Amino acid sequence: MKPIVETKNLSKWYGNVLGLSDVTLQIEPGITGILGPNGAGKSTFLKLITGQIKPNIGTVKIKGQKIWNNYRLFSIIGFCPEQDFFYEEITGWQFVTSLLKLHHFSESEVETRAQKALEIVELVEDKDRVIRSYSHGMRQRLKFAQAIAHDPEIIVLDEPLSGLDPLGRRKIIHLIKSYKGEGRTIIVSSHVLPEIEAMTKRIILIHQGKIFAQGDIHYIRDLIDTHPHIISIKCSNARQLASKFIQQDYVLKVHFSSSNDSLLIETNNRDKLFSLLPSLFIENKIEVDEITSPDDNLQAVFDYLVGK
Amino acid sequence: MNQKNTGRLSFFLDSVKNVYSIFLSMGRRAKKTKIFFLFSFLPVVIAFIIKFNQIFSGRGKIQGIYIFSNLIVVFYLQFLILILALFFGTSVASEETEGQTLIYLTTRPISKSAIVLGKYSAYTTLVILMMSVGVLLSFLILNVNNLGNFSLYKILLRDVVVLGLGLICYTAFFTFLGAFLKKSIIVGLVFSFGWENVIQYFPGSTQRFSIIHYLKSLLPAPRTGRFSFLMFRLEPSPTGTAIFMLFLITVIFLCLACILFSQKEYILED
Repeated sequence: MKPIVETKNLSKWYGNVLGLSDVTLQIEPGITGILGPNGAGKSTFLKLITGQIKPNIGTVKIKGQKIWNNYRLFSIIGFCPEQDFFYEEITGWQFVTSLLKLHHFSESEVETRAQKALEIVELVEDKDRVIRSYSHGMRQRLKFAQAIAHDPEIIVLDEPLSGLDPLGRRKIIHLIKSYKGEGRTIIVSSHVLPEIEAMTKRIILIHQGKIFAQGDIHYIRDLIDTHPHIISIKCSNARQLASKFIQQDYVLKVHFSSSNDSLLIETNNRDKLFSLLPSLFIENKIEVDEITSPDDNLQAVFDYLVGK
Repeated sequence: MNQKNTGRLSFFLDSVKNVYSIFLSMGRRAKKTKIFFLFSFLPVVIAFIIKFNQIFSGRGKIQGIYIFSNLIVVFYLQFLILILALFFGTSVASEETEGQTLIYLTTRPISKSAIVLGKYSAYTTLVILMMSVGVLLSFLILNVNNLGNFSLYKILLRDVVVLGLGLICYTAFFTFLGAFLKKSIIVGLVFSFGWENVIQYFPGSTQRFSIIHYLKSLLPAPRTGRFSFLMFRLEPSPTGTAIFMLFLITVIFLCLACILFSQKEYILED
């Protein structure tokens, strides 16, 4: 398949701060997830491939054409930025129709497309409210609407799920997945692995401005599964629970907190441990106050993978 | 080849027109416009107070048109149009970068020059309208007892045209400044009330380095009176030269603004 987005030795600095370093990759149609902890360089990468900023070194090509100052390419690109900024004093309808006008559509086509985009993101009822009065979820959906309203071939979404409630998240994930079957190229960034997992199997891992790995999501899943995982359980009888865990071969270490009301369990098989928990609690009549996973985030996984 | 160029030009002009209509509509609703619209009524209030005082004090010897001409020079030419052009001109680029909305415009199939020219035209239209309403009201108030004298309307028209030219030229300059500098308002204030207010009084050719010199050249020779010092040492340029220079300054700064905005990399804070 012919790549839609191609970057070669792409590097970007902000003064002395490295944004992206020597990134060479090709993105084909379908959904591609850009995954990395905060500050890894995801937004810089997306800004470079949408021509918002100029690379210091290297090239970006969209369908074989350079993107910087090539405004004609934007008839096939839709971009949903991460930042929550709008022309606050206009309505959602005015926002989408205004931006559609810049695509040189006729007046009637502008209205048809705006209506369709707002229907997709379920904002039709609120379209005549000023953006200032929108909730965070509505604003996220409005950003999404302006990115898809002109029916682009390439959709670039920078952290489209950030700050959304679970229902809002599900809606946006469903929307993104619905575009997959139409031969489009969708590039979506996130710092939360399950979010990307819910949308695609094809991922690019970015860490400290570099491409750390790319390919199928099972690869990163396997890496995560071998990462010793710490789970904290706050319960009524921590010592009794510890004695049960210690018998399991996938439990590496068990520590007690100073107050003896919680324990930290280190495991190399998180899934197996979690499946055991409910039966252990019920059989031993243990009241659980809290279960947390202190290092259940991408940064911890990356730190482990790069050997920190 | 010619057909291709014509097509490109019509696409560009269409882009400018679209940006213009969007920002004229947005600008009309903006809080900033409402505030400056009220602000532009300051000379109207002053005109009202003067007229009120003339009527009730019985000292109405000074002609309304004389006070009106002074109001044009003192409040409009040397103050109000500079303020309006400064705040609207610099915001062509800066409100997009500071408000981080630039991304919505630069991810559309329109050139960055079309964004600058479209916004510039929209904001210039707004400030000219704001100024015209204030000037018209001031004129009507000050000449309320002489409205049948049609020769006065020629003066009104001339003054509105001169102020309009001033707004076109200053807004172009401040559009360039906004695209060029981050703290463009401060530099713009120094230019407006420093450079423009000082250089215009320099003798010889030096005064020609100010925009206000060409605007004052389009107004009649100073009369004697309380505010005649505001025309002091004016060595006016011929009308044709003044209009040409105002046009040239506008074109130069708009071109520079377009080039700068197209080539400059605006890094929006995360």
